[in-house]
Amino acid sequence: MMTRHNEQTTGDQHTDEQTTGRRPTDERNADGSTGGTGYVRRRHFLQTAGAAAVTSTLAGCIPGSGDGGDNLEGPIRIGHLAPLQNPLGIGSRRTATMAVDQISDDGGIMDEEVEVVHADTGGNPGTAQTEAERLVAEEDVDVIVGTFVSEVTQAIMDYVAQEGVPLIVTGSSAPSTVTDFIGQDYDRYKNFFRTGPINSTFQAEAMVDYVNHLNDLHGWSSFAVVADDAAWVEPHLNVLPDALEEQGYDLVMEQSLNINIDDFSPVINDVVESDADAMIRFFAHINAAPLLVERAQRELTFGIEGIHVTGMHPAFAQLTEGAATYETTSQSGGGGTTDITENTIPFVESYRERFADSDPPVGHPMYMGFNTYDAINVYKAAVERGGTWDYGNDLDSIVDAMLATDHTGVAGQIQLYGPDAEYPHDAKETRDDEGTISNFPITQWQPQGALECVYPEQHATAEHMAPRW
Amino acid sequence: MFSGLPTVLVNAALISALYALIAIGFTMIFGVGGVLNLAHGALLMAGAYAYLLLARDTISVPVFESMTLHPLIAFPIAVVTVAVLSYLLYVVIVQFVEDNPIVTFLATIVVALAATEVVIHYAGASTHTYTLIPSDLLPSTVGFGPVDGILTVDVVGFVVSWVAIGLLWLYVTKTDSGRAIRATSMTERGARLTGVNVHAVRARTWLVAGALAGIGGVFLGASASATPGMWLQPLSLAFIIVVIGGIGSIKGSIVAAYLIGFLQTGVGEYLGQNFRGILSLVLLIAVLFMLPQGLFGREFHE
Repeated sequence: MMTRHNEQTTGDQHTDEQTTGRRPTDERNADGSTGGTGYVRRRHFLQTAGAAAVTSTLAGCIPGSGDGGDNLEGPIRIGHLAPLQNPLGIGSRRTATMAVDQISDDGGIMDEEVEVVHADTGGNPGTAQTEAERLVAEEDVDVIVGTFVSEVTQAIMDYVAQEGVPLIVTGSSAPSTVTDFIGQDYDRYKNFFRTGPINSTFQAEAMVDYVNHLNDLHGWSSFAVVADDAAWVEPHLNVLPDALEEQGYDLVMEQSLNINIDDFSPVINDVVESDADAMIRFFAHINAAPLLVERAQRELTFGIEGIHVTGMHPAFAQLTEGAATYETTSQSGGGGTTDITENTIPFVESYRERFADSDPPVGHPMYMGFNTYDAINVYKAAVERGGTWDYGNDLDSIVDAMLATDHTGVAGQIQLYGPDAEYPHDAKETRDDEGTISNFPITQWQPQGALECVYPEQHATAEHMAPRW
Repeated sequence: MFSGLPTVLVNAALISALYALIAIGFTMIFGVGGVLNLAHGALLMAGAYAYLLLARDTISVPVFESMTLHPLIAFPIAVVTVAVLSYLLYVVIVQFVEDNPIVTFLATIVVALAATEVVIHYAGASTHTYTLIPSDLLPSTVGFGPVDGILTVDVVGFVVSWVAIGLLWLYVTKTDSGRAIRATSMTERGARLTGVNVHAVRARTWLVAGALAGIGGVFLGASASATPGMWLQPLSLAFIIVVIGGIGSIKGSIVAAYLIGFLQTGVGEYLGQNFRGILSLVLLIAVLFMLPQGLFGREFHE
């Protein structure tokens, strides 16, 4: 876990940003809060320090333009932080823009104009920290939405907590992002929220239900579990193997892979040797296209289940010349194939229409795009419920309003866990009548490049297919 | 203990052949001009993307809108393209700065980074895969003794790797222009004294090294996939191989490529995939301490 503080941030940051970003260590969180006092104190500190470099941008660092926040003026600025070069980040960027445009067309938030500012993390914790500081200090954003890599999210947590700006996570799923921060020190990190995806512990539980479904369907009973060597996977590896064995399945192989792996042959050979009916793999960092190509060329028939972020690319089947056929992945929003809620399909259709002529990827956003779109709408509703977006002076009202969320989004029905829950401020899993987690839809690439939702059954558009070459 | 040993050996041999292709060009350029070409990985990437552009319609740039040539036609064109790019890299940039290793270092890494941006711009950051061996020509997998399910493309890569090495060997031992390359890599002053046009030799070396990188790149993209970041790992691999094999020694590069390939595959199989890279680095450090000139290297004298 990284706990880098501003004092340690170096690099080509701007003087005013550095000055404003700094507070003597003994002053930080002296009162355990991140509220307005901090800003007032910081202003006082700046004045006494006689920071000549402070320009008008500095006013932007202080919510309510430094007037104590009594007469807040718009526009409300939403900071979107994601790996913008990556197909996933491109989708998230587009849906953030879509959400803001739609809100603006409907009269904004509390009659104020809304703007979105995009910042590129490059998937890199250091860059993310710099960009988060830029969003808050220079761009004067009122909320930050996004982050895909859990290590990136955790790298900006301390800074975001110190500033008090609400952070709504829409991409990264490590439960430790909740338990190690807000779970340890609620007051300090209470400006953190995750509206989706459900965290990896719930994902692992849902995966067990899905495996039962596969067992009913194909009689599969032996499984090989393979995963990225990264934070988000830990719960999967902690929960899933034991859970599978508890259910009476054979766990014939368990491997973590270095995320820079370049040769999948040994892994495939191990799976073949283990005689697993299916490989359950969790790849957000690893790009498993070469594995799929080799599997297709060798016409191997073990199933490929689990999560594969690269495989959520809307044109993945085409990009891999059909090698992706039969692989499945769970993904928030179900790849736009099915009506998770009544809003899913209309949202996907307007996305498809709007970006039809843009650079690839087109068609539908990847999972983070669904969550980002929802997060911005959740934020809008919360601000209007709480009557303020002034996190500098009234963070508690925003927090209370966020926790009262019950929003029909495009990725599912969104509610958040309260302060005393095991995962405070985290997205609630939705369950059907039997207690099965249902906001964890699974899609499969079927022959001829068709993307179908195969689980849970109430959302399925096709039955899961066992590989047949 | 050593279950699946035949499979491991076959896989190791196949990947080593690819590593050899990746490293030879890098070592030649270093041997002849003392230039560390950090754009070597970018040339590999150029091979993969040039082939993609010619043979698949998933990416399009102006002029080359959705072209789908037969692999047997696209492959040589891609290789020649990379050879020319490599030559141009020398003629346009490197030759003016090669006397200053730091500037050369920076110039070539900038080229590599720029190449990444170009690829992202035209092909996006997504993964592209392609089939190099059409299924109507050969089956997609072959069996070899107790090992079945070997990818044909890897076997073809192995064969092509050795054919390329053979041709290279013939070139540097049997022809005057090739011998001039070898002479220059042994001693530049001696080569000059015997009337070798060192400048022309260097340019020719970049051309040959580029062709080898092109071949390596097309096979690398076929056996893994083409991504904008695909150049970094092969570059570090080339570094390790060249240091272990001995700077400027083609034979050393081949031996070291096989050493690393077998080591990585064996370690990955018997110690776990996460140790694949580490032991190569340990070996690198050991070689640096015990054999600073590498297995087949010579001290640099000028």
